[in-house]
Amino acid sequence: MTTLRVLTVDDSRTILAMLHHTLSNAGFEVLQAEDGQQGLNVLMKESVDVVITDINMPVMDGIEFIRHVRATGNHQSLPILILTTETSQDKRDQGKAAGGTGWIVKPFDPEKLISVIHRVVH
Amino acid sequence: MEALNLRDDSGENSAIAAHNSMQLIAFSIGEQTYGVEITTVREIRAWNGATPLPNTREFVRGVINLRGTIVPIFDLRARFGDGPTSPTKNHVVVVMSVGEKWVGILVDAVSDILTVSREDIHNVPEGNSVDTELLNGIVTHDSRMVGLIDLHAVVSGAKLDG
Amino acid sequence: MSDLDDFKATYFDECSELLNELEEQFAAIEAGERDSDRLNAVFRAIHSIKGGAGAFGFSALVGFAHAYETLLDYVRDGRVELTDDVCALCIRANDIIADHVKAAQSGDVLAADYGMEEKERFDALARGESADDDDETGGEIIEEFDIDFTPVMVNLEAPAEDDAAPAEDAFDTAPLQPESGHWEVIFTPHRALYERANDPLLLFRELAALGQMHTRAVLGEIPPLANFEPFAVYCSWEISIVSPTLTEAAIREVFEFVEGDCDITVTQVGASAAPASAKSAPAAAADAGLDLLALADDEVGVAPAKSAAKSSAKAASAASAQDKFEEAPGLSFSELAETMAPPPKPAAPPRAKPTALAAAAPAADGEEHAGRAVGVQSIRVDLDKVDRVVNMVGELVITQSMLTQQMDETLRARYTELVRGLEVLAQTTRGLQDSVMAIRAQPVKSVFSRMPRLVRELATKTGKKIKLETIGENTEIDKTVIEQLSDPLTHMIRNSADHGIEQPEVRLGRGKSETGTIRLSAEQAGGNILIIVEDDGGGINRERVLQVARDKGVIPPDTNPTDEQIDQLIFAPGFSTAAEVSDLSGRGVGMDVVLSNIKKIGGSVHVRSSTGKGTRMTLRLPLTLAVLDVMLVKVGDSPYVVPLSSIVETIQVSRASFERVPSGGQVLQVRGEYVQVIDLAKRFDMKGQTDPESRFVVLCEAEGSQKVALIVDDIIGQQQVVIKSLEENFERVEGIAGGTILGDGNVALIVDVQGLKTQLIHKNAA
Repeated sequence: MTTLRVLTVDDSRTILAMLHHTLSNAGFEVLQAEDGQQGLNVLMKESVDVVITDINMPVMDGIEFIRHVRATGNHQSLPILILTTETSQDKRDQGKAAGGTGWIVKPFDPEKLISVIHRVVH
Repeated sequence: MEALNLRDDSGENSAIAAHNSMQLIAFSIGEQTYGVEITTVREIRAWNGATPLPNTREFVRGVINLRGTIVPIFDLRARFGDGPTSPTKNHVVVVMSVGEKWVGILVDAVSDILTVSREDIHNVPEGNSVDTELLNGIVTHDSRMVGLIDLHAVVSGAKLDG
Repeated sequence: MSDLDDFKATYFDECSELLNELEEQFAAIEAGERDSDRLNAVFRAIHSIKGGAGAFGFSALVGFAHAYETLLDYVRDGRVELTDDVCALCIRANDIIADHVKAAQSGDVLAADYGMEEKERFDALARGESADDDDETGGEIIEEFDIDFTPVMVNLEAPAEDDAAPAEDAFDTAPLQPESGHWEVIFTPHRALYERANDPLLLFRELAALGQMHTRAVLGEIPPLANFEPFAVYCSWEISIVSPTLTEAAIREVFEFVEGDCDITVTQVGASAAPASAKSAPAAAADAGLDLLALADDEVGVAPAKSAAKSSAKAASAASAQDKFEEAPGLSFSELAETMAPPPKPAAPPRAKPTALAAAAPAADGEEHAGRAVGVQSIRVDLDKVDRVVNMVGELVITQSMLTQQMDETLRARYTELVRGLEVLAQTTRGLQDSVMAIRAQPVKSVFSRMPRLVRELATKTGKKIKLETIGENTEIDKTVIEQLSDPLTHMIRNSADHGIEQPEVRLGRGKSETGTIRLSAEQAGGNILIIVEDDGGGINRERVLQVARDKGVIPPDTNPTDEQIDQLIFAPGFSTAAEVSDLSGRGVGMDVVLSNIKKIGGSVHVRSSTGKGTRMTLRLPLTLAVLDVMLVKVGDSPYVVPLSSIVETIQVSRASFERVPSGGQVLQVRGEYVQVIDLAKRFDMKGQTDPESRFVVLCEAEGSQKVALIVDDIIGQQQVVIKSLEENFERVEGIAGGTILGDGNVALIVDVQGLKTQLIHKNAA
């Protein structure tokens, strides 16, 4: 089985570092971006199997990012997980409406994170 | 962290012939032979002087420049209480790592690389307090007694009042 | 250091950046710039602080940040008006957040009710403004948090398990029925499910992990190919799962992400209720004749299902797919999927490390967005790596100057090309040095931004009205200098607020405005950075300073210092003019700490005061610390260096006038001052014959303008050296500030003037 590549998009270095740790320990290859715009730039050059993105980010927020990804020809079936501390339903709904596949609630539990990823990626 | 351990061990793996044996760098001070595990040795240099450090004990010979870093030199003879060495160009500094730090030990000569079995290492006999303080153990090799240097002990208590 | 500690270190770094950002944003907001970009940046900063805090289980911080964030959200969307009061409350909240972060970092526990008052005000504001809101009340949002958002201490050390079933214990609450365990699920995905990149196959895989699963595809809806619409969804599935412990909640959990994007019924087979599975006919699968999709067992069966599912979603990208459908009747579903599959993805370009990748992907249209450095590409580099370069460049500079010194007149005359080459080398080396130093340089902003809060606190505690102005905060200075700057600046600003600025009524009485101003500025002047703390307060009370200095024996009773010298006395060790030790500047340590810290980094402090008008304190700092200008001397036979910044003058011993003091020691008399003498050869116990006549006095200035005369055996010259640590491989040595490597490769020790002077005082006291 080939290594799965995950693009993580978050403006918090702490969260990026923790994601990187958890995901690379679980055998994923991890790419990072600090906002939606950077995330799009990465996706232009790299192919990934799943995207995990924060909602609240500078430059380009997560919702906008997801919309852009979905609007791009070859990314319609790219699973996108929304990573958010929001407990209120409306952020998730917004994310889903934009084309988000699922969500992960921060703070995340490593096992749960991995199982959620496997729920959306082969 | 398994990955880290592996990295730490890698040097040892190449140096150790068998699982329960170890390689020593043996060096002499007068008639005595001492050894340190080869994996701790970073470099062996001829004595080329050292800048004396004030306010330190007699066995602190001073500091040298090792490729841009300042490394202290300990006079092993003086450390064992036999007075300071009068070094010549033929004397040798063995640079070793002790934990994070690099230190040099001034000895008369480096004599050999020995492979000894860990099982042959004995405790230091009670009696000589300097030996018990500064040696980890002793091992006999070709009917020579080799004292295994406890580097941490050797470099401690270097300051005058400390 | 464990991973967790690493993450925490990252987190606290990030917090301090975010807190600085908050200060900056609110400085602008206070100044009237209330645009949404700023509010968004504030919101994000608090949000990020909260996010990380949650991960580490800093629940007090999470609680407060959440309440604050909720308020900010309301402010952002206009439900709460950003009045001056609300703004002040936010600034206070930032301080509380900073305290929470600090407490989390140091492991301290803040009082349980710390920030409660503010938190209640957030609630009240949120409630007040949203009372007529139809959906929810702000109060509830904040309450809800306590139930919903329980910070979880994440165990990062635990290895991630494989994709096992979701933890059963999470669903303990669902009723568990005896003999239960057989469930029927009818799952009809909508188009939206595929559009969001969900995949039935993966859902089935997850379901299969819950128990023994059997899947049937319901294909009755599939139209003849001529009418087949590529984006439409025709497939649904009937699934039965058997597991003794299975609950409905566990099944629904699997479909969590696709809720609303599919129809789903979950029924327990053999439960008291009539089996709902009768709703649809399992036999439909057989009727359809496409048993390819009838999943006899989940291992074999899922593959075609995957293709089918994928095909619907991916068809969008294959424009010609529809034609192929119509031309190819009779193709099996999976073959169809093949034809519709997009061309293979091009091979991924060489993979860069994640950080490099992110760095190489800058925001293309960054200039449109405020709040971030625009258009500047940056990489994060370990300071260690930079320092290594700085060190090597330092040595290059020294080697280059050594080479130049070696060129005597004969050589110069003979090898003109070599001389030219050396000149070019000198130029390039200097350029290289400047560039490398610029890497270490940082704007003083990071220190300045801590000061507004300090001034606010000082104003509150003293009951004075104080305004802080900052100028030149983008001035750059070496990172190490910046780190050393925080304490001195804090002391200086405290001093200004405490002793400089008058009470409002006093100010009014003096015809000044009620609000005092402290101006903090930074500017570059040649090879130095000047940091100036200036206030428009009462100025230094010289009479009182002189009185105290005499009482405390800081200066001999019979001397008559000039005004300037009196002003400078406030930096003398142990000096404090406050009649009562104030809570703020007092405690015996004060301005002398400023001087010692600044001296330590090779700087100086100067104070000018004008009675009734104010005080100006100027810090003069070197641009960099790595390279030090020194005087190379000999003590015995050993080379030592004395930092030029601490040298006042040098005098030949034969010309100096020494006097014996009753205790037997020696003092040097220089311009009417008596200065203590330290013979370095004696102090350092250095051997070496020296002709007493050829020795030198190096007159140095230590802390608080205290002088000390060092006797050395020879003066060799001035040069630049790179400071090396002795502690890296050894330990701190008294009287020695570090080492350096000379051009000939030998080590010279750096004399710790301040340390020697302090030792002297202790010796005398003993």
